[in-house]
Amino acid sequence: MNTDDLVRALAADVPAVRRHALEARIAAGVVAGAAATGIFLTFFAGFRPDLDSAVLGFPFWMKWVYTISLGLIAVAATVRLARPEPLSLGWLWAVLLPVLPLAGLAAGELQRAPNQDWMRLWLGGSWLVCPWYVLVFALPIFAGLIWALRRLAPTRLRAAGAMAGAASGAWGAVLYCLHCREASALFVLSWYSAGVVLAAGLGALLGPRLLRW
Amino acid sequence: MQPSEEQLWALMTRGMDGDAGAHESLLRIIAPMLRRFYRHRLAHLDDQIEDLVQETLIAVHVRRASYQRDRPFAPWLYAIARYRMIDHLRRRRAALTLDALDQMLASEGFEDACGARMDVTRLLSNLTPKQARAIRDTHIEGRTVAEAAAAARISVADVKVSVHRGMKRLAARIRGDQP
Repeated sequence: MNTDDLVRALAADVPAVRRHALEARIAAGVVAGAAATGIFLTFFAGFRPDLDSAVLGFPFWMKWVYTISLGLIAVAATVRLARPEPLSLGWLWAVLLPVLPLAGLAAGELQRAPNQDWMRLWLGGSWLVCPWYVLVFALPIFAGLIWALRRLAPTRLRAAGAMAGAASGAWGAVLYCLHCREASALFVLSWYSAGVVLAAGLGALLGPRLLRW
Repeated sequence: MQPSEEQLWALMTRGMDGDAGAHESLLRIIAPMLRRFYRHRLAHLDDQIEDLVQETLIAVHVRRASYQRDRPFAPWLYAIARYRMIDHLRRRRAALTLDALDQMLASEGFEDACGARMDVTRLLSNLTPKQARAIRDTHIEGRTVAEAAAAARISVADVKVSVHRGMKRLAARIRGDQP
């Protein structure tokens, strides 16, 4: 096909692109994935039985503020990486910002608690399953983000995959808060973050393969 | 005649608002820009340049949503062009020749051109220090052969031979002939 004919063929179908189409597409990916995770939460994992009283307490909001802020930053990074223009990857470490206040809270907990309670604060009752739950909760959201990115133009595929993974991990963790009863900052700092890191690692691993265009 | 950024931006944004005529003009205007871009960088792949131009036009058309109206158009276009070029080279890396490597080093960041995985320093570390220095001076830092020779206190012929042998070895390495 010669280039003139190609241009004519392409110009035969020029749908308008809404403003903020890129952001809207990524948001749609997150929301669709989160809906699937919500179904899994409702019918398989189950809500924590004391949810109505828990939402009145500090630990629940500590967990939500941490995971939601992680999620917002990681989604913002994903949005940037969905555009092709070159960028320096250094600022992606901004994703770690929400870790700082949580680490402060965790340090305070340790200071207040007697030494023999430290392991309980750290491991809680579910440290072995928590990161894997977060990862499972993340998977549908990750799929949604990959779906979104495949129609956009990421050029740093590994970084885009990693950030999509981190975003899905963080939003998976937001939903996991509705299931998990752990209340210590140290627990969240360790095991929720481990789940997010797992998801980010998975994204970094798969990004170059899934996002190539 | 080189179209101006304002012109391109106006056509792109009108196309994004659904104006098929503007979109068609845009694609027509950028096709020769892309042809120049690829010719300059991939002169040795003359027969594939039109394919690349077409692939890029399709990408520009299909991935319009990744363009933000409040940003300059040319960097977006060339970012897509560069990605398509790297992807193209990656697919045919097996067929990389000495000329191709030379061309890439001359016109594009080496790292970009052969896929971000390859690190210049790491690659050059496989050469003798003399070869590595000769290539770095003449191909990365852009000095002339005479300047490189003076800086390294060796003869002009020595620089040329070092560059040639080093390049040959690098090309062999990227092709995967040796570990």
